[in-house]
Amino acid sequence: MGLVLAIDTSSGTSVAVLKDGIALAEIDVADTRSHTESIGNAIQDALDQAGIAAKSIEAVAVGRGPAPFTGLRVGIAAAIMFAEGVGAQLFGIVSLDAIARQELTANPLSNRNPAQSLLVSSDARRSEHYWALYSGLDRHGVPICSEGPAVNRPGDIEAALAERGIVPAITAVKISARAIGELFEAQAAAGVLSQDVTALYLRNPDAVEPKNLRDFGKRVSG
Amino acid sequence: MSDWIIRPALEADLNAIMAIEHECFPDDAWSQDNMQFELMAHHTEYFVAVRKESVIGYAGLSKVPASDQGDVQTIAVLPTARGLGLGRALMDALLTAARRLHAREIFLEVRADNPVAQSLYFSMGFEHIDSRKNYYQPAGIDAWIMRLTLPQRRVGREPVVLGIESTCDETGIGIVRGTTLLANVISSSMDAHARFGGVVPEIAARAHLEALKPTLDKALAEANLSLAEIDAIAVANGPGLGGAVMVGVAAAKALSVATGKPVYAVNHLVGHVGVDILERGQVETPTVALLVSGGHTSLLLVRDLLDDVELLGETIDDAAGEAFDKVARVLGLKYPGGPEIDRAAATGNPNAIRFPRGLTQAKDMEKHRYDFSFSGLKTAVARWVEVAEIKAANGEGAELNIADVAASFREAVADVLVTKAVKACLDHNVPRLLLGGGVVANTRLRQLATERCAEAGIELRIPALSLCTDNGAMIAALGAQLVMAGRRPSGLSFGADSTLPVTTVQTLS
Repeated sequence: MGLVLAIDTSSGTSVAVLKDGIALAEIDVADTRSHTESIGNAIQDALDQAGIAAKSIEAVAVGRGPAPFTGLRVGIAAAIMFAEGVGAQLFGIVSLDAIARQELTANPLSNRNPAQSLLVSSDARRSEHYWALYSGLDRHGVPICSEGPAVNRPGDIEAALAERGIVPAITAVKISARAIGELFEAQAAAGVLSQDVTALYLRNPDAVEPKNLRDFGKRVSG
Repeated sequence: MSDWIIRPALEADLNAIMAIEHECFPDDAWSQDNMQFELMAHHTEYFVAVRKESVIGYAGLSKVPASDQGDVQTIAVLPTARGLGLGRALMDALLTAARRLHAREIFLEVRADNPVAQSLYFSMGFEHIDSRKNYYQPAGIDAWIMRLTLPQRRVGREPVVLGIESTCDETGIGIVRGTTLLANVISSSMDAHARFGGVVPEIAARAHLEALKPTLDKALAEANLSLAEIDAIAVANGPGLGGAVMVGVAAAKALSVATGKPVYAVNHLVGHVGVDILERGQVETPTVALLVSGGHTSLLLVRDLLDDVELLGETIDDAAGEAFDKVARVLGLKYPGGPEIDRAAATGNPNAIRFPRGLTQAKDMEKHRYDFSFSGLKTAVARWVEVAEIKAANGEGAELNIADVAASFREAVADVLVTKAVKACLDHNVPRLLLGGGVVANTRLRQLATERCAEAGIELRIPALSLCTDNGAMIAALGAQLVMAGRRPSGLSFGADSTLPVTTVQTLS
């Protein structure tokens, strides 16, 4: 689909420029606490390295997570505004799907035990993991997600899968914007692109609705 | 962290300055009378470097209003305090003053045999333009004349600047052309916070992300402009809720890379001051600014919008708007509390209950002359309400009079805000007070400020409410001032700073 800018900030800050599914440049900043500082230069540097003017980007593909809140939003906000700024189309990608595609392309499930599924998981902090289960790739190379994405404790995920006799293959592949761009291309070929770029938080905000809005008054006087 | 500060010189510093003068210039020290004249003259700006209350360096600038040229009169640092960056800091203070006084060129003389000083001046942009033979006597050393050309306000077309604000629960995008407002679109997540009785940072940040595109589209439509017609982008990079600010900063940077337009990172609070430009064409300085919202309660002294903003004081606990929200909860009123309390107070007696005025007692005024505290007040209201209810339940008193409590609480807040703001004006001999922030919507605050300012001979500025609450137009207006003053853009590496000090009007990467 021509020139694509891919962005993912579900772990570090990753930006890639792809042409027809082939990466021309990729910038990865591993630090998970500097998304805001890194995102502008990462986009600029990726474009510069690819030798592409911002205006020639035709589509922007952004990882929607799931991921911890704060960093994830940086990539999505940047993708929205970049697409708006150059008049490109904007598409959302489930970040775990991109990892699954990368792993399943390198090591197809048929090469392993056919009863296996692929478990893709990533750190969700607070002793929990984001995860999704994949049964393989379709003929366009789009991963088939059989369960998830969801967020649970690693022990609970293991136990639930064991109960159902699933012995998952687990990938150690890290999320990269290049993988986002490659999946985008596969989805385009399959005609299953999504314009939904809402963040996959999978958790509600940490706010507790006060049971009694007047509790505050009682507490301070007690 | 350095253990010294730079501040304007006072007449009381004269003896300390003269001691350094003699130590640094044993052959050709100025006389005490000369120095005193320099310190006190209207056309000079002197600064001192102070460590542990002793003066360790000083510098002076001369600039008469009729000329657009200024001269560095002198700069001296005690030998024992050299190598700490004092010289640069003092020069920075002089150049800041020079810009404020609209100088175009700054000149200085430096000994030809002083390469350390010369390289400092070179590094600050000075060039060597001439020499004077045998200038320094009796040693007969040549003087170098050095000149710095300050960037000038651009002439010609006024810049179109798009401003992005996301420091709290308002996604604001505004567009200005120079000092003219073209668009001001605000999307608020206020309703989503109502059931929590206050702003929930994560909910605010999520809402910003969803509001970005629609708000931008609406602002461009309102201004009848395309993105190609924007000259620069400004964004508030703090102070505020970290996660919320980050959305705006990421958005601004990506828009900058996409469009090739420079981005200016500006201070949200100074934006509240700068918004007056949109109604008056400029911010008249000096002015005191009282900024009151759900997140801030700050008193600023603004001598120059871009170069000289000082924080006089701020709340040491709750922001005033937060106090309104919490007291509204105690009274069983809805969120946001400000308008609800305003309504309830309309029929109440403001003198029914004498609630405490935080940090106004003599001992507090020494340490916290311009600071605010609303935590004790809200507790006092809660306790009062509780006691009144118990009494009423036991048949010992009348039913709780919500109108009286609301009116008395509102009076206490407005009283302490206005009293301290007026004091700040009088103390600093500043004849102007500017109000900003969402709490400015409060009718009693406006009324009391109007009365007290009139009594004290202080001119009061209250911008339109749509410009007082958080908005992108104020960020755009401040950004446009930076562009017109020829300031360089902020680059792409700056971050979100939830505690950005007001002294940092623009963040550079």
